[in-house]
Amino acid sequence: MGPLLVLPTSRAGWGLLIAFVALVLAGTWPVIGLVNRATLVMGLPLIVVWSYLVIFACVVVMLIGNRIVERDDHE
Amino acid sequence: MSSPWPLLITLTYVAIAMVIGLRARAGRSMNSLEEWGVAGRSMGPVTLYLLIAAGSVSAYTFMGAPGWAYSKGVAVFYVAIYLAYLALVAWYFGPKVWQFGEQFGHVTQASAISDRYQSPALGALAALVMAIGSIAYAVLQTIGSAYILFVMSGGMIPIWLGVVLVLACIAVYLYASGQRAIGRTNAFQGVLMLIVAWAVGLWAVHSATGGLSFAGVFERIQAEHSEFLTLPGAGGDMSFSFWTTSIIVSMFSFMPPVWTQWMSASSARTIRRSATWLPTYYVVILPMVVVGFIGIFSLPELARADTVVLEYAMQHLPVVLVGLLGAGTLAASMSSSEPFIHSVSLSLSKDVLQPMLKLSDGATGKLARLLILPIMFLVVAPLAIAEPGSLVMILLVGLGFASQVLPAFVGMFFWPRASRLGVMAGIVAGFLITTAFTILWSHPMGIHAGFWGLMLNLPVFIAVSLITPATQGEVVERFFRIAAPRGFTQRIKAADLIS
Repeated sequence: MGPLLVLPTSRAGWGLLIAFVALVLAGTWPVIGLVNRATLVMGLPLIVVWSYLVIFACVVVMLIGNRIVERDDHE
Repeated sequence: MSSPWPLLITLTYVAIAMVIGLRARAGRSMNSLEEWGVAGRSMGPVTLYLLIAAGSVSAYTFMGAPGWAYSKGVAVFYVAIYLAYLALVAWYFGPKVWQFGEQFGHVTQASAISDRYQSPALGALAALVMAIGSIAYAVLQTIGSAYILFVMSGGMIPIWLGVVLVLACIAVYLYASGQRAIGRTNAFQGVLMLIVAWAVGLWAVHSATGGLSFAGVFERIQAEHSEFLTLPGAGGDMSFSFWTTSIIVSMFSFMPPVWTQWMSASSARTIRRSATWLPTYYVVILPMVVVGFIGIFSLPELARADTVVLEYAMQHLPVVLVGLLGAGTLAASMSSSEPFIHSVSLSLSKDVLQPMLKLSDGATGKLARLLILPIMFLVVAPLAIAEPGSLVMILLVGLGFASQVLPAFVGMFFWPRASRLGVMAGIVAGFLITTAFTILWSHPMGIHAGFWGLMLNLPVFIAVSLITPATQGEVVERFFRIAAPRGFTQRIKAADLIS
């Protein structure tokens, strides 16, 4: 058996992988450096607002993922 | 503290948790690993959501995180981000782990490793070393529980007695109902923590600013201490690199209790549904952290940063809320320590003692239940009472090791060619580096020690795997029919056609 890697096999699968990677990038350097300012947005520090945006974006991406997985009918 | 209410409220919480834990058994026999270990793979989406959420929100949320806000500032929010990323991990890996368990009969993480690499020795090694980090974690949470009882009783319940009381309560319902008790009590604790965190947070904001908006707190911080609103924080030690590598290392630390929680679900779909909504729970962190920020200007001379919420509550909040805070903090520490004690007992019985003593499954099931008693009273209790100064160090090394098991999972989910010796070599190399960069040279260049470990671990794992024999083809195929039901099987067929 060769040294094959498991990779997505559909366009939707690749889309999900890219979304997952984008979420991880959004919460880490260098992106976190762009919101590292002592300003307030809606009364909260910018980095806190950004953190919760990333957190709720995770929910949205997983909701989309659920639709894809259930549409394609594989667990 | 002169009022009896805080202690009464806290003890009422303990009594309710015990009743819920004991009733969770509902007449079932708990002598099988399937039942005591993974609740007969029966948990629905709401219970699983609260089980994982409450398990991941430890006493750190009520004490450590506000303490970080008090001493460092917004740097504490790396925790909220990595917890959300753990939900992504649960969403992707959880359903596959559940299918491994359901189809191959695994009840522990180490069993899955042992099966994938056809190596009971590798499984036992994983179980033993994961146990070090897990016990250190349980000890830290037990110390937190005992401290809460000490404060709520006004010093009447000394730390040693608090440790014994908390462990005895957990022991009773954990022995009686196993993972079902953890599921039910965590569900109760999860709801309680959410209510208490927001009640205490909003009341504290009102007492500090006269309103209910967090804006008043942060406007004052911005005007007087703006260094708390950015990285590297007021301490100057949370660099971008430490923030980033801490998130990555924490995200890839597949701790055994989480694995057991996934295997307790009623279906793969249940895990995906629970994981999807899991990040919403982490709004529980925000109000507690805001109290930490209030402490910056209200309690500037605090000796111990992690007592900021308790100190503020005792000075400014009504006694009922102080009692609820005690109950909430105790809930957070108990809900986090019990899954670790349970998983250590389960894994030592199943993956170390069963193969070593050649026990039957029935005897192993009974042993797992009994083993919680020596683990709690001969290991966790003495360590919690002694409070060794090196405990946090042990925990850091333990968690650092947890991330070093990553190659075992790479070989389970992504790379069929991964070999037993490759995994072992990667783990050993990564563990040595993590240990050295935790104890001897702490986090060089502001990069997390576990991340340094992974940077050596993964190349060693790949190189050794490529030059040593792979696991038998039928075992690998069995795993990858679940890990990659479409991708891998199509690739196998393509590879077969080419060859």
